[in-house]
Amino acid sequence: MAARDYDKDGVPYRTNIASADIPLPAVTDYGQVDREIAGTLTPSFGWFGALGVAVLLFLWGAGVWTYQIYWGLGNAGYAPPVMWGVYIITFVFWVGIGHAGTLISAILYLFRAGFRTTIYRCAEAMTVFAVMTAGLFPIIHIGRPWKFFWLIPYPNWRLIWPQFKSPLVWDVFAILTYLTISSTFLYVGLIPDIATLRDRERNPVRKQILAVLSFGWRNSDREWRNFTRAYLFLAAFSTPLVLSVHSVVSFDFAMALAPGWHTTIFPPYFVAGAIFSGIGMVFTIIIPIRRFFHLQHYVTLNVIDAAAKLCLFTSMVVGCAYIMEFWVAWYSGNAVEQDYFWNRVFGQWWWAAWIMLICNCILPLSLFSQKLRRNTIWLFGLSLFINLGMWFERFVIVVPSLSHEYEPWQWTHYAPSWVDISLLVGSFGWFFMWFLLFIKQLPVIAISEVKEIVPPKMLHAHGGHGAHAVPVTAHGAASQGGAH
Amino acid sequence: MQGMMGVFRELDAATETVRALRADKVNKITAYTPTPRHEFEEAFGDPPSNVRKFTLIGGMLGATFGWWIAIWCSDYWPLVVGGKAVASWVPYTIFGFEVMVLIGGLSTVFGMFALVRIPRLVTTVGYDERFSQGNYGIFAEGTQEQMRSIEETMRRHGAVEVRGAR
Repeated sequence: MAARDYDKDGVPYRTNIASADIPLPAVTDYGQVDREIAGTLTPSFGWFGALGVAVLLFLWGAGVWTYQIYWGLGNAGYAPPVMWGVYIITFVFWVGIGHAGTLISAILYLFRAGFRTTIYRCAEAMTVFAVMTAGLFPIIHIGRPWKFFWLIPYPNWRLIWPQFKSPLVWDVFAILTYLTISSTFLYVGLIPDIATLRDRERNPVRKQILAVLSFGWRNSDREWRNFTRAYLFLAAFSTPLVLSVHSVVSFDFAMALAPGWHTTIFPPYFVAGAIFSGIGMVFTIIIPIRRFFHLQHYVTLNVIDAAAKLCLFTSMVVGCAYIMEFWVAWYSGNAVEQDYFWNRVFGQWWWAAWIMLICNCILPLSLFSQKLRRNTIWLFGLSLFINLGMWFERFVIVVPSLSHEYEPWQWTHYAPSWVDISLLVGSFGWFFMWFLLFIKQLPVIAISEVKEIVPPKMLHAHGGHGAHAVPVTAHGAASQGGAH
Repeated sequence: MQGMMGVFRELDAATETVRALRADKVNKITAYTPTPRHEFEEAFGDPPSNVRKFTLIGGMLGATFGWWIAIWCSDYWPLVVGGKAVASWVPYTIFGFEVMVLIGGLSTVFGMFALVRIPRLVTTVGYDERFSQGNYGIFAEGTQEQMRSIEETMRRHGAVEVRGAR
């Protein structure tokens, strides 16, 4: 093979396919996997610094929320009839971020996409913390957060129940289910890895804690046989769940009669946007982790390349959805709808719409270049633009519709207040605080799944019943990489 | 419980040992492997996991409960919106689906825990910390008379360490 077929790390280029077979040539034995991944758990000054910044941002957001609770929602910049603003935008943004985690951990698992193996744990943790963050915003938005439980159907002596035909109640069920199942999926996958950490640990207190957290897991054939089935079924449940959750979130809008909202394209449009934004956040997280934890031989350029192709694909789906929105408005012949879309792109909200279009549709086209797909600095920068663009997508969905409804007397302006911005910034602090705590307590790459890719030691190279070494890919499925 | 524990560095050595022990009518065998391998499933020839039954039952119960809670609450506290039926099955499918996933997923995990008998907070006989790292392990239970032949089988197939455990 010619020299140009290898990158500077000596990893072979894969030119045009996001293959199920992405080997890790620099990872040669199980001991190395344990040592290097467990080595990421040692805290560093950089980690403490990042955690300090995250905690400060979170405390600022928490303080401002307290201020808002005391002085009321009037501080939140709402301008009737624009009574959904930054909080709902940020809610949709964070729910969307969570989707890529489930896509990578569950959907790509079912599709046997090997490149997920070294990035899925990060993405899955991101999902859980993103949904935890998202869940705060409807509670913040209602102004009286102590009454949020009214949305939950519980027996009460007043004998009243929620309105089950309301999309807000659908949201409660969807988000709570998503949070529960994604947390469960994350934790179940962690059990064997925690057992590995337990067996390596020499500190008796820490060892005891890890023993409890691993439920006494001991890697027996019986445990793996049931584990692989359970993991498969959880992935199978998570796959339609991830599609349903953002569909339900889109119903918050699509069930209303505001121009720009009442359209059947919203569920697939929201799901595609969610996955796209989540992949953007995966890059924002995984590229620094790969660099600072020296994990380049696990999260190889081939893995990054394959994920970048997914990013490009979802960007094009999102771009297609944007075009379809305009086409539907034009083809409907509805003057209000047409006027709304004109106002969105060339009128009052042109700046927000163009930030969205440039960040989500134009800049990601650069990923057609393999060179840029394998350039982590470019990808990291692009991922920041994608995060920005996807927040503005939700801004463009929420605000222009409410500020430009049917009658001219309803037309108004909206500008977020300092309270809105503080809570938005605080949400990033909350999210990264949990994420940073996670990556120093638990393995950021799935130890047991990476071991499945590493060829096992064999006594007989080609003989014996057990010598063919078929790895149980990604906990129980058909093979990838492994021994050849 | 008494038995013989063998430590293996190579996968095929461990799977061959399982086959040989089963041929010798040693039936209580536990294999330890750092990562799931089909080779052990083939060597043991066990039936598929019963986790799927927990998943199916949990999912069906969840879907039933999701639809039921929405319909029952709507009938109990009727709120007519837009002239729609009090209990509308189309939007209530969302509840049926979400609760199916919720209960189905949780019962899957419960089933796995029940079938592998965890949480387990006591030290397991025949387990070694090396088994979660790079080595494979076989723990074979048997009578006092069988111990010598089990040990011999393990050593013959490449065990780097064999010792009795109880």
